[in-house]
Amino acid sequence: MLVSFRWLQELCPVDAGVDEVAHRISLAGLEVEAMEEKGKNLTGVVIAEVRAKSPLPKKDKLTLVTVFDGENELEVVCGAANVPEPGGRVLFARSGAVLPNGMEIAPRKVAGAESNGMICSEAELEIGIDADGIFVVDPDTEALPGTSVADALDLYDVILDIGLTPNRPDCLGHVGIAREIGVLLGVGFTSRKAAGPRRSFAAAGSFQAGEPTTKLAPLWDNDSEAVDTPKLPAIFVEIADGDRCPRYGAALVSGVKIAPSPFWLRYRLHNLGLRALSNVVDATNLILLEWGHPIHAFDLERLAGPKVLVRRATQGEKMATLDEVERTFTEDDLLICDADGPVAVAGVMGGRDTEIRDETSDVLIECAYFDPRSIRRTSRRLGLHTDSSHRFERGVDPGAVPRVLASAASLIAELGGGAAATTAIDRISIPFEPNSIRFRPARAAQLLGTPVPQEESLRILESLGCQVVEQGDDAFIADAPSWRPDLGREVDLIEEVARVRGYEEIPTAVPRVHPSEAGTSGLLKFVDRLREAAVASGLYEAVNYGFLSIDDLRKARVSIDAVPLANPLSEERSVMRTSLLPGLTAAATRAQRRGATEVRLFELARTFHPTDDTLPREDTVLAITLAGQRAGWIGGEQSFDLYDGKGVIQAVLERVFGQKPKLTVGELPSFLHPKRGARVTLASRPVGFVGEMHPDVGDDLGLIGRVIYAELDVEGLYALSEELGPTQARDLPKYPAVARDIAMLVRDQFSAGEIADALREVSKGLAESVRLFDLYRGDQIPDGHRSLAFRVTYRDPDGTLTDKRVDKVHASLAKLASDRFEATIR
Amino acid sequence: MAEPDAVQTFENGLAEIRGAYAEALRAARSEPELRLINGRYVGPQGELTKLLKLMPKLPGEQRRELGQAANALKQEIQATFDEALQSIHRSAREAELTGPPLDVTLPGRWQMPGRLHPITRVRNEVIDIFVSLGFDIADGPEVELYENCFDKLGFPPDHPATDEQDTFFIGAAGSIDAQSVLLRTQTSTIQIREMMKREPPLAIVSPGAVYRRDDDATHSPMFFQLEGFLVDEDVTFAELKGVLTLFLRRLFDEHIAVRFRASYFPFVEPGGEVDMSCVFCRAWEGDRARTTQCRVCKGTGWMEILGCGMIHPVVFENVGYDAEKYTGFAFGMGLDRIAMLKYGIPNIKLLYENDVRFLSQF
Ligand SMILES: [Zn+2]
Repeated sequence: MLVSFRWLQELCPVDAGVDEVAHRISLAGLEVEAMEEKGKNLTGVVIAEVRAKSPLPKKDKLTLVTVFDGENELEVVCGAANVPEPGGRVLFARSGAVLPNGMEIAPRKVAGAESNGMICSEAELEIGIDADGIFVVDPDTEALPGTSVADALDLYDVILDIGLTPNRPDCLGHVGIAREIGVLLGVGFTSRKAAGPRRSFAAAGSFQAGEPTTKLAPLWDNDSEAVDTPKLPAIFVEIADGDRCPRYGAALVSGVKIAPSPFWLRYRLHNLGLRALSNVVDATNLILLEWGHPIHAFDLERLAGPKVLVRRATQGEKMATLDEVERTFTEDDLLICDADGPVAVAGVMGGRDTEIRDETSDVLIECAYFDPRSIRRTSRRLGLHTDSSHRFERGVDPGAVPRVLASAASLIAELGGGAAATTAIDRISIPFEPNSIRFRPARAAQLLGTPVPQEESLRILESLGCQVVEQGDDAFIADAPSWRPDLGREVDLIEEVARVRGYEEIPTAVPRVHPSEAGTSGLLKFVDRLREAAVASGLYEAVNYGFLSIDDLRKARVSIDAVPLANPLSEERSVMRTSLLPGLTAAATRAQRRGATEVRLFELARTFHPTDDTLPREDTVLAITLAGQRAGWIGGEQSFDLYDGKGVIQAVLERVFGQKPKLTVGELPSFLHPKRGARVTLASRPVGFVGEMHPDVGDDLGLIGRVIYAELDVEGLYALSEELGPTQARDLPKYPAVARDIAMLVRDQFSAGEIADALREVSKGLAESVRLFDLYRGDQIPDGHRSLAFRVTYRDPDGTLTDKRVDKVHASLAKLASDRFEATIR
Repeated sequence: MAEPDAVQTFENGLAEIRGAYAEALRAARSEPELRLINGRYVGPQGELTKLLKLMPKLPGEQRRELGQAANALKQEIQATFDEALQSIHRSAREAELTGPPLDVTLPGRWQMPGRLHPITRVRNEVIDIFVSLGFDIADGPEVELYENCFDKLGFPPDHPATDEQDTFFIGAAGSIDAQSVLLRTQTSTIQIREMMKREPPLAIVSPGAVYRRDDDATHSPMFFQLEGFLVDEDVTFAELKGVLTLFLRRLFDEHIAVRFRASYFPFVEPGGEVDMSCVFCRAWEGDRARTTQCRVCKGTGWMEILGCGMIHPVVFENVGYDAEKYTGFAFGMGLDRIAMLKYGIPNIKLLYENDVRFLSQF
């Protein structure tokens, strides 16, 4: 919300400078996010009087103007069509001036003529948006040529950009912020009366007899001249849905002339981010910015009277809003209607057909209190967020209706030269009931950790507008003001006291924390151990978004039974991932494209799977990918293959479990190469898989080279780790070991692992380990065969082995190899 | 059977060997060379070995004497060999010790470890601080019930407070009406889940991924938050200030100043935001000129870092706690933001691109 410091100073007697004010309100919850000083960057731009003007020969759009800038008469070429006659005053940028957009003014030749300076439009000086012609100074403005434009037009102001939290609708207008400043800086605040219209009329006859009204005249700060009541149809207001419209007020201004607003008003709106249109519309905006209470001006002549009806829409009912869009409503939308149908979407936007026109003469001003939730639903349904809906959905001040109407009627009458009715319709369907809140200073002290004297609390709350209705020794009851819908219970008042005193007044203390018996869940600690193990094993941690496209899943041949987003930002991120594969392999490919030769990534994150329950199942998965070349020591790079995948899985699991996983051939996910992958088991329990990506899938995903991918089921591993418990120490061997080698020629169908297992088994417990140390294919080895050499380490836990015994067992290993695996012992 | 010539040959042979071996062995410059020379005397085809093979041909009376002489010579050769070998080793070591150094700039040879993601690193650092203060860690689902993300946390229905957190809803595309399941927009959901599960006292921090429909230069649609809360009897705002001040000083610098501003989050009251001294211009050092130039704090010397407050009684009521008996505080922070501040990461998008050139920096 943009706020004018000048305006705040007009509303509240604050002496402090803008920096001090900004600091104080920021600490108290109105965070000033930016400040911009106005009227500062226009040095060298002055009032100048036109002394002569003549069209430039052959250049019919250009005028050669002689101006007097207070010091010299200068000739300047101007391209605008509205150069005033001699005697008129313009805004003149002297040579050397720098315009807000950075343009430096220097003498130059234009169409053969010397131009010494520039006559400016308001857009060029960024004091308005009109760029069609130059700014012509109003004859009423007293300013001699040579006066700086900032002085002459009184441009000085500081605009604060306040990041308002949604609980503070009272600060959506300058009055509310001025009240806050008054409280925070201790200078107080009293709501002022509206200036009042010069001319007013008695409304009697303008409203239908018996219509509830409120007197506006007492809220005006002048005695206006009474004029005859104009002949207008007698209007009345009916509220058909009181829950959604607890209060509806309407004031009348007659005989206005639509014209541009005076400069000060246009300038103020411009600085506060609104576009000046015409006096009546600008007035409604100024009232909005002053009171934070949206009002709407209807062209009375175009309202099909006499009744103004506030009702809910019928399903499918239509109306064109003033942004020229035809809107369709539901039964949940609240409309303002005349005899012919809807004329405004309550609290959101007016209708096209009743808006103020150039010919408008009589204005009906609406000021209402609508139910915030209703306005919000309508605004969201229509996708129409307006300055009005923004305030109504946060909750405007229902008590402010008469004052806002008085201000609005007075301002519109003044700007439009019309007369305001001295009374306004004020129909209340649900009277405002203040929240009565009990405040216990002891509770405040208990919550804040510092004593809060009752008198101080009382003073603060009263300064904020609370009314103390009952006072006891250890508690009092206060009614929250109508502009503070956020004050509903005791803690809200405690916060008010705390923030007005300043949070810096609260001391710091260190709490006594009762550590829990259970501590952090084992799973979370286990996840951290896995993550550390992955890093220790040479992997870099990747973090991908949880969502991706269904196409990503399809291409990766992972489950497409995914949890969909109802409102994704894009198709590319429209479902929750069912696998970490697409994200992780894509990251690897991107890294390769960027020149990485060796990519080792892991991700430990969730995948999401629909269930019959309301919430999907979330699995925690550790995924690993290796792509490119494993670096050797100075040269010797080799493409990653399955055995790198196996190695890294081993490294991770051994680090966490102290035991080796096993790889077995078995059914593999369809995204893996059917012959170059394996299932991973640990302590005979399946825990994941590892393998080379299927080349077809690799093509679909655009992978580069043979990419290795592995996944481990983290929850499964955790359950296993709980089951296995901590590693138990084993006795170290007491007797020496004897190593013997056995080499054999064997057909490819037998895996090294199963041969090793079988050898170990047949050794009757003597083979402590059977380790493959050589694998050879090539010359002298028949096709479909390979030569395997194992080193068998024999050890008897109970005594020293004799050569004889070892020879015997070793021979039985050789026999087994030739019998079961048809091996030729070499 | 004895051949007188054999005695002669044997004696000549011994004499020849005896006269030559020492010089030959000592002349060797390397171990292989030495072994080669040694082999010429005592190897399987060596001269001495060959002589010894003549032993059976020697006459009985001289066999013993000559045999002893040959064995003595063999031992002498062995001794000289040992001595020469030692000398070769010593000079090799000497040469290594005094020669040119290794090229230490060649790459190291080991399987290098990988790296944790900067968000994980920061998360661990943050968690370590809170764990040392007695907090436990908890987590919860990323796909959540609307109820846990908003209603139970005291967000009023149809209230603009939810606008601050533009939400992804779960459901068939476009089916915004069924807004009961969503991607959590804040880790505060874990507050609700833990409080519904356990009774006070509770001291918990909960890190995790959260999602909001913002995707621009400074926002990522998924990012990481850490929520913390403490519930017990007599927990005070003063303690909230104490814990967060301690935390920020441990995380960033023990000298930073910390200030609390009033702010609004539906689930806390009083609510606040926490600013700390700008860590880019090291504002606590008081170098005004440096701070004035600082683009990160825009010359203010402060940066916003946390949201916090006393847990709203409505939250306690929603989870079935006695809101009169218990009080508590809660706070939340963006781990992405802390990682960016701590490591000087200029752009949030870097955190989710998994560029190895980036990841390898941490
Ligand atoms: Zn700074």
